[in-house]
Amino acid sequence: MGTRRDFVKTLAAGTAAACLGSRWSDVLAQTGAPKRREVSIGRKRIKVIDSHNHLNVADVARVVKGTPFERQAVTTGDGIIGPERIAWMDRDGIDVALLTQQGAFWYAVQDRGLARDIVKAQNEGTAAVVAKYPDRFIGMASMPLQFPDLAAEALEDGIKRLGFKGGGISAGWAGAKNLSDPEYDVFWSKAQELGAFLFMHPGGTNGNGDPHFAGKGALGNTIGNPLETTIFFSRLIYEGTLDKFPGLKICGAHGGGYLPSYLGRTDAQCRRQDEVCTGKKRPVEDYFHTQLMADIMVFREEGLRHLVAELGVGQLVYGTDIPFGWPVTPDFILNAKILNDAQKEQILGGNLIKLLKLSPNTTA
Amino acid sequence: MRNRREFVKSIAAAAAGLSAAGGFTYDVLAQAAQGAALKRREVSIGRKRIKVIDAHAHLNIPAVADVVKGTPYERQGNAAPDEIIGPDRIAAMDRAGIDMELLTQQGGFWYTVTDRDLARSICKVQNEGTAAIVAKYPDRFMGMASMPLQFPDIAAELLEDGVKRLGLKGGGISAGVIRGDKEPSGPEWDVLWAKAQALGVIFFMHPGGETGADAHLRGKGNLGNTIGNPLETTIFLSHLMYEGTFDKFPGLKIVAAHGGGYLPSYLGRTDGACVRQPDTCSAKKRPVEDYFRTQILADTMVFREEGLRHMVAEMGAGQLVYGTDTPFPWPVSVDFVLNAPFLNNAQKEQILGGTIMRLLKMPAAATA
Repeated sequence: MGTRRDFVKTLAAGTAAACLGSRWSDVLAQTGAPKRREVSIGRKRIKVIDSHNHLNVADVARVVKGTPFERQAVTTGDGIIGPERIAWMDRDGIDVALLTQQGAFWYAVQDRGLARDIVKAQNEGTAAVVAKYPDRFIGMASMPLQFPDLAAEALEDGIKRLGFKGGGISAGWAGAKNLSDPEYDVFWSKAQELGAFLFMHPGGTNGNGDPHFAGKGALGNTIGNPLETTIFFSRLIYEGTLDKFPGLKICGAHGGGYLPSYLGRTDAQCRRQDEVCTGKKRPVEDYFHTQLMADIMVFREEGLRHLVAELGVGQLVYGTDIPFGWPVTPDFILNAKILNDAQKEQILGGNLIKLLKLSPNTTA
Repeated sequence: MRNRREFVKSIAAAAAGLSAAGGFTYDVLAQAAQGAALKRREVSIGRKRIKVIDAHAHLNIPAVADVVKGTPYERQGNAAPDEIIGPDRIAAMDRAGIDMELLTQQGGFWYTVTDRDLARSICKVQNEGTAAIVAKYPDRFMGMASMPLQFPDIAAELLEDGVKRLGLKGGGISAGVIRGDKEPSGPEWDVLWAKAQALGVIFFMHPGGETGADAHLRGKGNLGNTIGNPLETTIFLSHLMYEGTFDKFPGLKIVAAHGGGYLPSYLGRTDGACVRQPDTCSAKKRPVEDYFRTQILADTMVFREEGLRHMVAEMGAGQLVYGTDTPFPWPVSVDFVLNAPFLNNAQKEQILGGTIMRLLKMPAAATA
């Protein structure tokens, strides 16, 4: 039995790159840019795509100046894309990152005009990053989900005008509302019409304010994040949203929360009380084999094996949560004994290449 | 792709034994009225008759009604018919192939009682009632003490009373019932954990439902139960690990309901968070899987063969115990374990009864 020290050393050795998050500027200053890692499987160079990668757009500060949200704008640090982010990706062997906005403060904005302006600045800033590094990043729209019509509009603008592949969404900010409520049909309908890929990342509200999450373990994140995704997916399944919009494709962060790893209770509940399952048309695994996907942030090979068994390799995508220092380099996939080469390639990039109609070529 | 109807049929067929529990009473009584003898299912693995123990079975004690009469809890003291142990329960067990049940009290209203004496009296009646059931059917039931967790000293006292005077095997506990910003990992509960460790008895942890009171859990899917129950257990076990309670009381053993909540199926993030933020993990001494291989056990209520395979891989078959949530009609017959292709016979026997017999220091012979 390993001691905790051994355990942390083992994890750290395997994942040294990711844990250096906040020190990339120092690394660049002291040792220069790292050599770009080029991931191959067998002799085939493959394109590694990180589906779970965040940014902040400094220009948001201009928009929120003089409003109650002035202090929420992030203008410095790891979220701002520049040479540090490229160095991080180079060192880990990440060729392309799908960028979603870090944070969720704009969901609390009550003024429609301001909410629209904030996400416009975020989205145009994201598009500018993609324009600067076109072979390294793909943009995802941010949207003011508190105004479903504006969210649909921002998604369409992002895809049609700014060249994004989809949008990033959260759920836990919504107060008494839920994204399975009928008022969000306008948004889901638009996403389906556009063929948008949605990346769902928890917004943190479930964890805040619950006194049971106080104390050690950062439970608001450790539990709160997968919980928010679990509630979100459960509602879309049980309330019939995914049946109503069969073209929706949503990828859940952090292994899709608890649900993909704990599928059984969802349908067992229907067996016990079928009257609570009248909105749901299919067995729970069907949704996860078709419309719902997950990133691979479960950190344990046995956890990955379980996700592969329950969802299928075609529903899983590599993700890192950069710029946060979670232990998730491509080696988690490359070293997985349970996967063959084709499956590794699918998870590390192939699934997203197919889904987002990307070029399989690497430009390295 | 199967449609929903086919899916439900397949689950129903696979789980016909116990999942019929909801309508069971009436079938059984009808059969009995017609003079039909009920055959007891005797589970064997290979040629060996094994003792099947259900670690997750509930009861209520009607005599509680007398204790709470005239108090604000008067309406809570009513026991539902299928929660009262009698011939119907025995018949249901016979049909399902369950030799023994480890009984925990259904509900959690007594956790809200603010009067110390009333709380003690309620639990005492519950525990004496449980002991009376065990005395009446000694080869079919074992009992667990109920305790007023809101008063840790009384909880420790009643655990000892239950074990020493009443012959109960340990205690049944909840977590979400503890109000406000308190957690059972707080130092005031050390007296209870220390007592269990000294007595060498286990706890069965079953969520009390408080965590489900969230606006986002309304609507379809019964999310207060479907999500709220595993969530409460996840928070509870996380606190005991991260706050160092398991390290402080290394003899503490807790069997957690519903596959132990989310954690056994989703272990990675617990230590992943420590790599990212070591300062939040300063009280936890071991990797997360160590706790689940020593002090934390789980029942098998995950309903999917792949879910069970995953739990066995993460925890080991020796940490898993069969459980049904009787009298609630979940699809969890013994066949869920007997038919699992990845388990060998020894592992099946462990899960269906061997593990809990070891924990409770029971003699190995089957008394069926």
